[in-house]
Amino acid sequence: MPLSTQSQADIDQYILIASLDNARNLSNILKAISSRDHAIFNATQNGLKVTVEDSKCLQANAFIQADIFQEYIIKEDTVGFQVNLTVLLDCLTIFGGSTVPGVCTALRMCYNGYGYPLTLFLEEGGVVTVCKINTQEPEEPIDFDFCSTNVTNKVILQSDSLKEAFSELDMTSEVLQITMSPSHPYFRLSTFGNSGNAHYDYPKDSDMMELFQCTKIQTNRYKMSLLKPSTKALALSCKVSVRTDSRGFLSLQYLVRNDDGQICFVEYYCCPDEEVEEE
Amino acid sequence: MKCVIEGNGIKVFGKAVHALSRIGDEIWLDPLEKGQYVPDPDIQKDCEAVKCKLNIKCVLPLFRCASWRERSVDKCEISINFPNSRVIFQFHCRHGITKTYNLGYQECEALQAVFPAHLCPNVLMAQSKLLGDIVVHFPVSQEEVTLSISCFKVTLKTFCEEENNCIKGMNTELMLHPDEFDYFEVGEDSAVTFCLKELRGLLSFAESYGLPVSCQFGVAGQPVSFTVKDMTLEAHVVLSTLTDPNHESTSQPAPGDDCPVNIPKTSTAEVSTCEGPMETEVYVADGEQVASSQGSEVFNPNLHMRKMIQLQTPGKILPKPRLAPESALTTPVTPATFKIRSLLFGAVYTDVVDSKTADLPSLACASDTEEDGGTEE
Repeated sequence: MPLSTQSQADIDQYILIASLDNARNLSNILKAISSRDHAIFNATQNGLKVTVEDSKCLQANAFIQADIFQEYIIKEDTVGFQVNLTVLLDCLTIFGGSTVPGVCTALRMCYNGYGYPLTLFLEEGGVVTVCKINTQEPEEPIDFDFCSTNVTNKVILQSDSLKEAFSELDMTSEVLQITMSPSHPYFRLSTFGNSGNAHYDYPKDSDMMELFQCTKIQTNRYKMSLLKPSTKALALSCKVSVRTDSRGFLSLQYLVRNDDGQICFVEYYCCPDEEVEEE
Repeated sequence: MKCVIEGNGIKVFGKAVHALSRIGDEIWLDPLEKGQYVPDPDIQKDCEAVKCKLNIKCVLPLFRCASWRERSVDKCEISINFPNSRVIFQFHCRHGITKTYNLGYQECEALQAVFPAHLCPNVLMAQSKLLGDIVVHFPVSQEEVTLSISCFKVTLKTFCEEENNCIKGMNTELMLHPDEFDYFEVGEDSAVTFCLKELRGLLSFAESYGLPVSCQFGVAGQPVSFTVKDMTLEAHVVLSTLTDPNHESTSQPAPGDDCPVNIPKTSTAEVSTCEGPMETEVYVADGEQVASSQGSEVFNPNLHMRKMIQLQTPGKILPKPRLAPESALTTPVTPATFKIRSLLFGAVYTDVVDSKTADLPSLACASDTEEDGGTEE
């Protein structure tokens, strides 16, 4: 295996090594949060967390646990850097994005530390590519201060039911309004576009609704441009949890199964649109 | 107004909306007394006569993804919220999910083409598959075609505005034997030119349900009507046709003169050599030809109007078209700008003898929108 011909000295210099037999287990989940160019990587003993932010109002996180990787070595408590996500995705899919059964790209991702580029060794069918991507000083991700004790309303839905709604959302609407209530309409997505309004109602007893915990009626509006990219994460996921807290902040958590059936998580936090007061 | 469509009907309605979207930008909802129209007794006074039009771009997305809708939508309710000027489409889907769309509308008069189709001298009926197989030979960009009829054959060919274009581009002509049609009645030899693009919507709609299409028309300048009928629906597309300027000055034929006096010389030979059901030929006109719009001048709405009024007064014998002169066109022919389009969707219980059509107040004209389709908040 070409990747293992690196010398021990080479390996020693890296403070982070993460290997995957199937690079898609990383690239697919990164695509789910790739609405912006830059991503903040934060690696710990538990695994890799990749963060993307937009306009200081939206944050998307992808979590890939350590046990997803075939090899995961980290020599410090936390390792952080920032890279251009678009470039990274292009490299991860350098052998082409098509899925041919039995053929996949193997990946070894290595990082020497502050000031060094992120090195990717990719191999498919005996061909090896080495990519070095410049890293930047990682920005501190925004802390949305979203804690479960402050959650007022929570639902867990099977993603299939939301996928249709999100793909049909009226993009002429500037906002997506989410209403959660212990009584009718229970869980409602609304848009206000040029041709009129649209409402998608999910009753609490629907068999798509796995969990329904709503304590009080809440209606919040979020910028459509911020939330629409979450459709990618929704498309990959099998379940999604929607939570709002007392401030109207939104948390969307997606349960994603990768090619090998392992579970990863993607999470979106979004601030409510300030123009509308919470009802 | 409240209308409920269940199960398969939703698919049909969606396809009808798609067919209409190929014809125009606006869709008129006109609740009729036939069929499932159920006036809400509480607000009957206000709502009963609400007729409205919507921008088709607003309605079309609701009926996208036909196969998905077929699987997940159980019921569609269409109602009108009169005080808020909203048409409400509510889809009851599986798993208890409800999708509600409130679309702004504009109130308007009923739109009805004043066109007594039963007075047309020429009637054809064919399976939609046959017509689909015919129009597939014409490029999608082809705007107008000419449909000619005589005792011996029916021809559909590319319409060229000027002689020069005929030579440069590819022209298509198909000839069909009367036997190809389920019903064939020729009262008057004629050739009518109309917009094919607008017809394609109806044809694909009919083809998806395997319904026959009937076509009624007269001479050049009179509208041509295409009809699709079923137990539960009825669709009419009425298209204007280009006039033949030689119309006015011809003498009236003797009554009962059904067959054309001038039979194209080559027709018999052509019919006998037809091998398959139809032939596609590249054909540059020579010799005598059936009256076609090659001699037509700029489309004249007033002339068209007079023709329409003539149609309504039975007993008057319509002037027979003469053969078009062989001289080249000197004035450019503009595509028909005066359009009548209507696709009626309603339940039919008896044969349609719509004597009411002549009484309707509005003669369909080019849509007289004052502003764009409803953009309500």
